[in-house]
Amino acid sequence: MDGALPLVHNEGVYTVMPDDFKNRVRVRLYELFVESGRCPSKSEVAADLGCGVRDVADAFNELAAAHMLVLQPGSREVLMANPLSAIPTPFAVETQAANGQRSWYGNCIWDALGVIAMLQCDGRVLASCGCCGESMTVSVDKGEVSSRPPGVIHFALPARRWWDDIVFN
Amino acid sequence: MLIFRSEDHIGRWCSAWRLPRGATLSVEQAWKLADAWYRDRMSAGWRRRTVDEAHELFGSLGLTSDFWRFS
Repeated sequence: MDGALPLVHNEGVYTVMPDDFKNRVRVRLYELFVESGRCPSKSEVAADLGCGVRDVADAFNELAAAHMLVLQPGSREVLMANPLSAIPTPFAVETQAANGQRSWYGNCIWDALGVIAMLQCDGRVLASCGCCGESMTVSVDKGEVSSRPPGVIHFALPARRWWDDIVFN
Repeated sequence: MLIFRSEDHIGRWCSAWRLPRGATLSVEQAWKLADAWYRDRMSAGWRRRTVDEAHELFGSLGLTSDFWRFS
């Protein structure tokens, strides 16, 4: 992706710089994820942007190297577009928006709450106690949060170690 | 980051995993942190925070201990 890269999009043909292209890939990835309710593949992002799959793959790799995405180790498809998880996790999120109820997965309890924050709507996280497995629901209603049953949230690793093993974290 | 029924349950989990206890947040604190951290993630203008910006954000939520420092 050295130099300017021509992109074809709905609005016509225009030229963007590489950093702009990476950001466009990032933003469209999130938009497509939210529009469809599932994480798009490299091919789907490329088709949407009217560019090559290789260009999107390179952008994914660079975004992952910058800790802006987490990729699956083999396929190099997206695993985490934080706060969203591309695969099912123990942190299911239900959001309530004008167009109805939607379902997502967060990567952890922080990210699950982050999904509600990012989508700027009401919602709830369906989780369970990390120790005993009891079902726990954390709800956000008009910006007010509550947990039933009451709970506390634990960050096991200090900030400087968050990216040592992001999947564990 | 996990949710637990109580501090006691966190202690049991840490023992089982042989991990030192980390930081405990109330659900309200965690929500404020999630909101501050992720609210603008989809915007085209979003970029990764610098270390100083992250520390400032944590500090605004009262998270000022060494645990919340990236460096």
